[in-house]
Amino acid sequence: MAAVIEMRGDRQNLREEAETTDMALFVRTSDGAMLGWDRQRIVDALMRETYVDFDTAREIAREVEELIATSRIKMITSPLIRELVDTKLVERGLEQARKMHTRLGMPLYDVDQLILHPNKENANVPHGPEATNLTLAERIKKEYALLTVFSQEIADAHMRGDIHLHDLGFIDRPYCSGQSLEYIKRFGLSLPNSIATAKPAKHPEVLLAHMVKFAAALQSHFAGAIGWDSINLFFAPYLVGMSVQEMEQLAQMMIFEFSQQAVARGGQAIFTDLNLYWEIPKHFENVPAIGPGGEFTGKTYSDYLKESQRFAKALFDVYQEGDGSGRPFFFPKPLVHITEKFFQAPGHTDFLYHICDVASEKGNTYFVFDRGETAKISECCRLSFKLDQTDLEDAKHPWKMRYCALQNVTLNLPRIAYLAKGEDSKLFSKISEFVEMAVKAHLEKKLFIEKLLSLGEKGPLALLAMDRDGSPYLRMHRASFLVGMVGLNELVQIHTGQEMHQSKQAFKFGLKVIAHMKLLVDKFSQRCGMRFVLEQTPAESTAYRFAKLDLKFHSPRSGHIVKGDISKGEVYYTNSTYLNNAAVLNPIERVRQEGLFHPLIEAGALTHIWLGEARPSKSSLANFVIKTFQLTQNDQIAFSPEFTACNRCHRTSRGLRPSCTYCGSGDVDGITRITGYFTKLSSWNKGKLGELRDRYRDQTFLKERGERVALETG
Amino acid sequence: MGFIKIFTKATCPKCPAVKEIGKELRKEGLPVLNYDLDTIDGLAEASFYSIRSAPSIVIEDEKEREVISWRGVVPTLQEVKQHLYKG
Repeated sequence: MAAVIEMRGDRQNLREEAETTDMALFVRTSDGAMLGWDRQRIVDALMRETYVDFDTAREIAREVEELIATSRIKMITSPLIRELVDTKLVERGLEQARKMHTRLGMPLYDVDQLILHPNKENANVPHGPEATNLTLAERIKKEYALLTVFSQEIADAHMRGDIHLHDLGFIDRPYCSGQSLEYIKRFGLSLPNSIATAKPAKHPEVLLAHMVKFAAALQSHFAGAIGWDSINLFFAPYLVGMSVQEMEQLAQMMIFEFSQQAVARGGQAIFTDLNLYWEIPKHFENVPAIGPGGEFTGKTYSDYLKESQRFAKALFDVYQEGDGSGRPFFFPKPLVHITEKFFQAPGHTDFLYHICDVASEKGNTYFVFDRGETAKISECCRLSFKLDQTDLEDAKHPWKMRYCALQNVTLNLPRIAYLAKGEDSKLFSKISEFVEMAVKAHLEKKLFIEKLLSLGEKGPLALLAMDRDGSPYLRMHRASFLVGMVGLNELVQIHTGQEMHQSKQAFKFGLKVIAHMKLLVDKFSQRCGMRFVLEQTPAESTAYRFAKLDLKFHSPRSGHIVKGDISKGEVYYTNSTYLNNAAVLNPIERVRQEGLFHPLIEAGALTHIWLGEARPSKSSLANFVIKTFQLTQNDQIAFSPEFTACNRCHRTSRGLRPSCTYCGSGDVDGITRITGYFTKLSSWNKGKLGELRDRYRDQTFLKERGERVALETG
Repeated sequence: MGFIKIFTKATCPKCPAVKEIGKELRKEGLPVLNYDLDTIDGLAEASFYSIRSAPSIVIEDEKEREVISWRGVVPTLQEVKQHLYKG
């Protein structure tokens, strides 16, 4: 609340008056009241907010009063008074007190610019009043985080660009999550602070409504994605006896609901991942099924294979058609888990063709590969949570299977290489130093979240603290703490002179770096009793941020290393452990090589196959998917076609074009995958636009080559 | 013929047997390299060959391409030698 202080009367008179009560100064508060100037308020604030002693506070208050009285300022705001008090603290060397007393916020000019111009840090957020609210709030929380949640050392490392603390504007939330529909099936919708409660749903449409509401509530408690496990399976008991039309209708409702929910945060859709299985996942085979009314149906999930499969197919029918204008749905994202059991389930070939057709036509499908005994819940564009023995025990009570990553801290790998100046031992010890910083940051965030959670169901994280099944909704003991990376390719380039795709030695060096990071996080996990895991940071803006900062601090060297176009400002580092986007590589080879890193990156990884305007046949994509599963270690792939949407005639064509192929209008927007989701090019930051220009799109590889697609293994 | 690469881990009970095979082959003058999966070099090398379990053995040709491998199992010395002298 801004308070305005008006000066009345002759300033000469004021200077002569020793007592503040005689000063004809008034404070106009923003709720319309008029208060007299009282320097005691400065003392009160200092005593309340800092550790400054009473005498010092009183002295400072007098000095500031004197300063105001002798100044020529006509109108004084309370923020200015606070700044004047801060300068007095600085003069006395009371830096910590100054930090505690400081005001957070933004300059008037910046707010003005913000309201008028879109913020491109997150391509998900459309411009509008909610979005502006979001940005303003985020700015303050970000400052708060860097001042009080994280230590000076960590905050400085972030500001310098050694590391990136993700989602600082959401400091009071965990990062990503994995959810189970079983929770609301069983307990209904009874959220803390809600106006009304709902008993467990009896009908699938109501269950969907509950899911959407719950997802919205969850999204306001997580910075990142809300992932739903085995969603087609858990809906299945409600779908018995449904006609084809009813099934299609429900599938449409689900997809349209999650694609349109534009109120969650700043007007963006809820970031929703739907994990789908064609088969019954092994760990749910003998689990008693929950059905209408939240009652056990008397059957196990194995008995619902048919309904589960029908629903999965219906969902993909909807994806295939696209939205009202035939455009691909941006959300929700369908992640199909390919396992050994998939290939034994009846009808899998047709389903695989179907989802590959969708992948080629619209690009929606994510193919997640769960090899061997690895079961995974994918929480986000690539984040996944591998299920271990305790989880498999929890699978008997699926509503317990709730997971989250509390925070992601990403390392600027090229920065490390600049600092190491070509020395191996220095490089590896710098990596250790940076990983240790990431661990420290995680401990600091964990402490903060635990403080908020300790206030329980009456506190700020009531939903996460709520306990309906014997444990808090957020299960801290199952939380992951992510250590991500940007620019491995550039680190290798700086250190060895070659990029990873250019030689086996360079590639192997890249593996060494990640192996080092993996061994380190394992050690820290043991030492701290927490789950530190490596993650392929999606790096929507981080790759751009790091490149810009390195151009600032490590020129001229960085000028030869950053990718993109420096003159246009479209600079970036290659994402995580990816090979150079522009490298001319057969996509199968890219999938194989990038896949070699994946087993080290426990939180999940992904390889993109950029299709451009190509529309490969479903059989060639299916072939590709099978070969990826059988012959590589790749965790997850997604095919990304490109589209041009016309804002005039509302039709969509393939490929990125400057004008509409139907009506010729130049008012068009490109659509393709930015990192882990589809969005319009007009919302992309410069770094990502630079990367888009460089993406190698092999138009020819997926042409039919008979039954066999050659795969090099040497 | 290229290198014979042996991958082991400290806590793995079958690994000593595979290390013995390595010793025998080295005695015969064959180029054997040992990799510990708990070290940076070991884990990186194992990742290159998609090795996920210990003990494992990989035989390469002179162009560093995998000729044959045993993953998570212990072959006999004879089995390994058979493949070496085959080509």
